[in-house]
Amino acid sequence: MKRILQYSICILTLGIMGTACKKYLEETPKGSITPVSFYKTASDLQMAEAALAIQLNGAFNQVGSAYYGGDDIVSKRSGNKIDMSDFDVFNANSSNSRMTNWWNYFYATVKSANSLLVHYNDATQATQDQRNNAGGYAYFMRATSYFYLTRTWGEVPMPTETTIVDNRPNAKVQDIYTLIVADLQKAETMLPDHWSAPAKQSGVDIFPTKGSAKALLANVYLTMAGWPLKQTDKYALAAAKAKEVIDGKATWGYSLLTNFADIWKIGNRFNTEAVFACYYNNQIPTYSWENGNMMSPNPYAPDYEEGGWEDGMGDISFYNSFPTGPRKDATYQKDYFVKNDPNNVVDWQHTLQKHPYFLKYRDDFSYDWSTHKAGNWWGSATSFLIRYSEVLLTYAEAQAMSSGPDASAYDAVRQVRSRAGLPPLSAGLSQADFRDSVVAERGWEFAGEFGVRWFDLVRTETVQKANANRDASEASLINQPSDANHTYYWAPVPVIK
Amino acid sequence: MAILEKKVILILAGIVLSVLTFAQTRKITGKVTGPDQSPLEGATVVVKGSGNATTTLKDGTFAIEVPGGGKTLVVTYAGMEDLEIPVSGRTDFQIHLKGKGSQLDDVVVIGYGTQKRRDLTGAIATLSSKAYKDQPVINASSALQGRVAGVAVTNNSGAPGGAVKIRIRGANSINANNDPLYVVDGVALSSIGLSDLNVNDIESMEVLKDASATAVYGSRGANGVVIITTKTGVSGVPRVDYNGFVSFNKPMKKYQLMDPVTYAKTANLTAGASVFPDPQSFAGKGTDWQSLIFDNSTTQSHQLSVAGGKEGTRYYISGFYTDQSGILVNSHQKRFGIRSNLDLKLTSRIDFGLNFYVARINSHNNGDMGSKGNPVTSALTWAPTEPVYDAPGQYNRFGISPIWSNPYMTIKERNSDNFSNVGVFNGKLRYTITDWLTLTVNAGLDMNISKSAYLNNDWISQGNPGSGQGSSESYTFQNSNILTFHKTFDRHDLTATALVEATSNKYNTFSASGSGLTSLSNGYYNLGLNTSKAISSGYSNWSLLSYMGRIAYSYNNKYLLTATIRRDGSSKFQGNNKWSSFPSFSAGWKLSNEQFIQEMGVFSNLKLRAGWGVTGNQAIGPYSTLGLLNGVIYSYGTGTVSQGYTLGNPATPDVKWETSRQTDVGVDAGFLNGRLNISADYYNKNTSDLLLFTRISNYDGGGSYLKNIGKVNNKGWEFMIEGTPYKDGNFTWSTGFNAAFNQNKVIDLGKDSMLQRTAIGGGLISAPIQVVKVGQPMGAFYLIPWEGVYQADKGIYKAGDAKYRDVSGNGSVGFEDRVISGSATPKFTWGFNNNFSYKNFELNIFIQGSHGNKIFNATYAATAVPTSDVKFINLADAANYWTSSNTGSTWANPGSKNKSWVESTQFLQDGSYVRLKNVSLSYTLGRSLLKLVSAKIYVSAQNIATITKYKGFDPEATTTSAGSDVDGAIDLGAYPSPKTITVGLQLKF
Repeated sequence: MKRILQYSICILTLGIMGTACKKYLEETPKGSITPVSFYKTASDLQMAEAALAIQLNGAFNQVGSAYYGGDDIVSKRSGNKIDMSDFDVFNANSSNSRMTNWWNYFYATVKSANSLLVHYNDATQATQDQRNNAGGYAYFMRATSYFYLTRTWGEVPMPTETTIVDNRPNAKVQDIYTLIVADLQKAETMLPDHWSAPAKQSGVDIFPTKGSAKALLANVYLTMAGWPLKQTDKYALAAAKAKEVIDGKATWGYSLLTNFADIWKIGNRFNTEAVFACYYNNQIPTYSWENGNMMSPNPYAPDYEEGGWEDGMGDISFYNSFPTGPRKDATYQKDYFVKNDPNNVVDWQHTLQKHPYFLKYRDDFSYDWSTHKAGNWWGSATSFLIRYSEVLLTYAEAQAMSSGPDASAYDAVRQVRSRAGLPPLSAGLSQADFRDSVVAERGWEFAGEFGVRWFDLVRTETVQKANANRDASEASLINQPSDANHTYYWAPVPVIK
Repeated sequence: MAILEKKVILILAGIVLSVLTFAQTRKITGKVTGPDQSPLEGATVVVKGSGNATTTLKDGTFAIEVPGGGKTLVVTYAGMEDLEIPVSGRTDFQIHLKGKGSQLDDVVVIGYGTQKRRDLTGAIATLSSKAYKDQPVINASSALQGRVAGVAVTNNSGAPGGAVKIRIRGANSINANNDPLYVVDGVALSSIGLSDLNVNDIESMEVLKDASATAVYGSRGANGVVIITTKTGVSGVPRVDYNGFVSFNKPMKKYQLMDPVTYAKTANLTAGASVFPDPQSFAGKGTDWQSLIFDNSTTQSHQLSVAGGKEGTRYYISGFYTDQSGILVNSHQKRFGIRSNLDLKLTSRIDFGLNFYVARINSHNNGDMGSKGNPVTSALTWAPTEPVYDAPGQYNRFGISPIWSNPYMTIKERNSDNFSNVGVFNGKLRYTITDWLTLTVNAGLDMNISKSAYLNNDWISQGNPGSGQGSSESYTFQNSNILTFHKTFDRHDLTATALVEATSNKYNTFSASGSGLTSLSNGYYNLGLNTSKAISSGYSNWSLLSYMGRIAYSYNNKYLLTATIRRDGSSKFQGNNKWSSFPSFSAGWKLSNEQFIQEMGVFSNLKLRAGWGVTGNQAIGPYSTLGLLNGVIYSYGTGTVSQGYTLGNPATPDVKWETSRQTDVGVDAGFLNGRLNISADYYNKNTSDLLLFTRISNYDGGGSYLKNIGKVNNKGWEFMIEGTPYKDGNFTWSTGFNAAFNQNKVIDLGKDSMLQRTAIGGGLISAPIQVVKVGQPMGAFYLIPWEGVYQADKGIYKAGDAKYRDVSGNGSVGFEDRVISGSATPKFTWGFNNNFSYKNFELNIFIQGSHGNKIFNATYAATAVPTSDVKFINLADAANYWTSSNTGSTWANPGSKNKSWVESTQFLQDGSYVRLKNVSLSYTLGRSLLKLVSAKIYVSAQNIATITKYKGFDPEATTTSAGSDVDGAIDLGAYPSPKTITVGLQLKF
C-alpha cells in the first residue's frame, strides 16, 4: 500500500506539466504590434503614416553622389570625396557608396507604402476620410520614390505589393511612369487639403496635401515630356496640373517667401513655400538616424577655413553665370573666416579650394554665425523637395512648350525672378528660348538642392552641353557624357541591389 | 497518528539519552597519516552523530572529546578516501588514510545525474577549480581558456566585465546563438551569463562536448553544455578561506602613429593643397591622443568563505568583492555578492538543498564601444595637430579630421552607468523512495534585474543636454523532476532516468529618455528636468517543455551502453513545428578490465568510446516567426516624438528546429598507475535546417526573414595529455597539454551559394566584407584583392596609386571584385599548463594559442586610408608611402586621385597568436609559523607576452558580437585586454 502511494506521487509529479502543455507553449507578444491587430483604427493609420515619413526622411538627410554630374555642384577629387567626384567626372561604378542611400531608402519607402496600400481600407474604425488620406499619402510616397528611382537609375525593379521576389526583373521606364501617374491621380483625390497636428506644424502641412500631389504630378508630366520618354503631349498636362496648384494656392497656403534667404533660416524650417518637404529635428529625446538632417550645417561648408565637410562645392562657371542679386547672396557664401577667425576674412577666390561654397542648409541651432563654426555634426534643417517657386517655373515651361510663352507663363517666371532681384524675361522670346531661360532659372533657383539641376539636364538632354562649360580649374572629366547617346545619363545600379 | 506518536517517543528518547551520555564524555587522542606514512596536517576528525570535531596538527596528532553515545570517528582529508573507525573502548588511534585510487573514481556530473569517470561513454571533460588556483581569475570564462580541449575562449572585449566568446567544437549556427548552455547546480542559465557568477564559488566545471552527452539537453545542447557545480560544505569544524589579490593593468601595446609634422605634410598631400601652411610649426608639439585615453589601472578582488557542517547539515557561505578599472580612462566595474549553499538531511529518505546566490554589478562606461566613432578609433585617427582644449576647461570639440568628436572629451565626459542585480536560486528535494529508486525535484530561478542611466552633458550633446534611465528584468523559472532507477543484478548494472522539465522566461524593459535638460545639477536622477521626453517599453516571454529518458547499462564492468531520448516543445515555433525529438546512443568498452590488456601490464586504464546523437537549436528570439511590425519614431520636425509602425520582416510560421547530428569516437588511456593520462576524440558534426535570417533584397525593402536552409559541418579532433613527469620528495612537475583542430565548413545554403552579411561601420566600411559561402568556413572575409601600388602610370591610374585586382574584368575596381580572403574562425587552438612545486614554492606557467584565423583590422584601416569619416591618414607606416624615389613602398601616395579601398585585403591581418597567459609564483607558509592560519602568497603576470603578426592592440579583441560567428573578427576600435601583474594572498583558518 505504502509503495503504491509513493509511486503515485512520482507519477503525479511527472504528469503535472503534461496537462497544461498546450497553453504553456503559446506565444502572445504582449509588447509588440502584430500585423493582425494593426491597420484597424485612425491611430493605426497615423502610426503607419509616421513610419512612411521617416523612411523617406532617410533618403534626404545627407548629400547623395548620384546628382554630382549636374553643372551646379562639383567635388574635389581627393581623399574621401572620390565617391562624389566619380559622378562629377563621369567615372562612377556600381560600387559607389554615396548613391546607395537613395536606393535603399526609396525602396524602404515603397515597401511601407505598399503595405499601407494593401491595408488602409481595413481600418474600419477610422472614418472614410481618414482611410482615404492614408491611402492617398501612401500613393504619393510611392510615386515620389519611383520618380527619383527611375530618374536616377532608369529601369529598376518595381514592387507594387509586399511579397518578396528574388531576382525581381526591372520594369520598363514607361511602366514606371504609368504607375507614378496612376498613383498621383489617386493621391490628388484621396489626400486632404490640410492635415491636422501633429502632421501640421506652425500652420504648415508636414504631410503632402492635394496640392502637393498636383505639384508633383506636374513635375512628373514635365519630365515625361523630356528624355527618355519624350512624350511632348505631357507638357499640356503638366501646365494644367501646375495651374491647379497656382490657382488653389490660397486653399493649400502656398506662397513665395519675400526674401529668398529666409527659406534657409532654421527658424523658418516650417514655411509656406514648402509644397512638399522632409522635416527633421535632432533635438528629440532619443537618437534616431532618420530624424536628424546631415544637410546642415556641415556638408556644404568649407573644410580648411571653417571646419565643414566640403562634400560639395559650387561649380565655378555656373557660379560665374549666376545672376547677382539677393538670391545669389543667399545661395553662396561670401565671406570665409579663415580658421573661424571673423577678423581674417577672405573671398572664395582665396579659399584653399578656390571655390564658392553653398550657403543653403547652413543655418542650424548649433551654427554660430559669428565664427562660422558648427557645434554639432548634424542638425534640423528641412529638406525641401518641392518649393512653390518650382510649381511656378514648371507651369511657365510647360505652358510655353504646350501653348507658347503667353502672359501667364511670363508672369510665373516674373514672380521667381523678381524675388531674386532680377527683371522679367525679355518679351517676345521664342518657345525654345523661353524654355531655355526657364531651365536656366530653375538651375539658379534650385542650385545644390537634391539634383533638381541634374534631372533638368537629363530630361532636356543637355548634360554634355552643360559640362562643356566646365572651368579649367575643376577636376577634369575622366569620361565624356554624350547628349546624343545619353551615356552617363543613368547611374549604375548598385552592385548590392 | 501512529507516525506522530512514534516521533514524539523518539524525540523524548533522544533527550534522555543525551542527558545520560553527557556525563560519560571521555577524551581520546590519535595521529593521522597519509599513504606515505607522513603525518597529515589539517585532517578533519568528527565524532559521528555529535557536533564534536577537530583538525589535526602539523604532526598529524589530534585530541577530541567523545560523548558517551559516540561510537564512530569519521576522518576526512582532501584527496584521501574518507575513513570511519569504530571507537569501541580505545583511547589512542593510529589512523592511516588511503589516497583516492585515481581521478577515474571521481564522480562526474552529467546532465540530470552523475556517473563515475570510468563509466563515461560520452566526451566529457572536467575542469576542477584546482586547475586554475594559481591564476587570478575574476571571470569563470578566463578559467576555461586554454584548459579544455575543444573549448575555444576569446576575450572579445578587454573592458571590465567585457564580452567573452566561448565555442565548444566550433560554431554550428549561422544566425542562431552559438554559445554553450551553462547549467549551475541543475539550473540552466537564461537570464544571466557565466560571467555573472562568482568564479570562486565554482567547485568544478564539466564540459559536455559530444551529442551523446548533450542530447539530454535536447534543443539547448547543440553548442555543448558546461555544467557548473558550486562548492558545498564538508562536515567538520568551520573552514574559513580568504583569497585576495590586487592587479596592476596596462595596455599591451600602442599603435605607431605619425608625429604632427609628418601628419601635416601628409594631409597637405592628401588635400592637394596647403591645409597646414607650415607643417614644421608643429615640431615638438602635438597631442598624443592614444596616451590620453589609455591609462594604467588596478583591479582588486576579495573573497571570503566559510564552509563546514554537522551531522545532517552542511553549509558553504561566501562573499566577494571586486573592483576593476579599465585601461580606457573613466571605465570601471564593481561587483559584490553572496552565496549560501545549504544541504539538509531531513529524514533518512529525504535530502533538501537550498542554493542561493545574488550579486550586484555596477558598471561605469563599459557598455558598447562598437560604433565607429568610439574613443579608440577616434584617438588613433584624431589629428595630432589638434589641441585637447581650446581654452582652459573648453574642449576642442571638432578637429580637422576625423568628423568624430574629440575622443578625450567623449571618454571623459561620458556618463553611462549600468546596475545589475543578478541571482541564481534553487531548491532541490531528493526523495529516496527505495534503495533503487530516487525522485529529485529541482526548482530554480535565475534572474537579472538591471537599471541603466546616462547623462549627456553639453560636451556630449552640445546645446541639448539630456538624461535617461532604463530598466529591464529577466526571470527564468525552471522545474525539473527526475526519477532515477539504479540496480545491479549479477554482472548487470542498470541506471534509468526519466525527466519532466518546464522552463519559462519573462523579459520586461522600460526606458525613459529626455532632451533639453534644464539643469545638470541632478545628474540623471531627475528626468523631469528634461524639456522633451520619450518613453518606451517591451515585453517578451518564451517557454520550453521537455521530457527525457535515459538508460545507462554496464555489463561485467567492461561493456557500457547509454541511450537517451529527449522531446522538446518550444513556444518559439508554431503549430506542428513546436515539437522535436533528440535521440542519442553511445557505447564504451573498458579494455583495461579485459584479461589480455591487463596481461600487457602497460595500461592502468584503457577505454574506447563511441557515440552518436541529435541535438537542436531554438536560439531565435521569441516572436521571430510572427512577422511583427517595426516600430519607429518620428518628430514631425518638432522636438518631441511620436510612435510609428511599418511592415517588418514577413511571418514565417513554417520555421522549425535547427538540428545537429554528431558522431564522436574517443579513447581514454592511463599509464604508470594513472601518472600519465591521454584522451583523444574525433568528431563529426552536421548541422542542418539552419535557421537563417536571409537578406531581403533592398529593392524589396531590405531586412531579412527566417528560413530553415542550409547545412554546416564541423569536424575535428581533440587531444589531451596530463601527467607528472617528475616527482620526488621535494620537487614535482605536473603538466597538461590540450589541443583541438576544428574544421568548420558551410555545406549548403539552399538555392544560394553565398549570402552577404550586413555592412558594419558605414562611413568607414561601405559594403559587406563578410559572407557565408558554400565550401567556406563561417566568418569568411570577402574583400577586394589588394596588389600594392602602381609602379608606373596605367590608364587613369598614376604611379603611386593603390593597385587592386580587377577580378570581374569590367575595367574598374569595385565591390564586384571582392573575393574570399580567409576566415575569422580559428583552425587550431591549444593550451599548455605547467606546475612546478618545490617544497613550499609553486610555479605555474600557462601558455595558450589560437591559429589560422584572420582579423579585419578596421581600426588600422581607419588610420591608413582616407574615408568619408577620416579624411587624413595617421599611421606611421603609411607615411612611408610610394614616391618615385621610394618605389619599394606598398603604401599608396596620399596625393593619389584614385580611391584606396578600406574594403580590401590590405587590412586583413593574421590573427594567430601564442600568449603567455599566466605565470605565477607562490609560497605557502605552514601552519607552524602562523599557528592557526595557513597562508599562501603569490605574484603573477597575465598576458605578459604575446607572439602574433596582428598589428592591432590585441588579437583577441573584436568589435563584432560575441554571439555571432558569421560576423566575426572585425576590429573597429575594440577594447583591448590589458597585461597584468598581480599580487595575491590566500589564507586558510
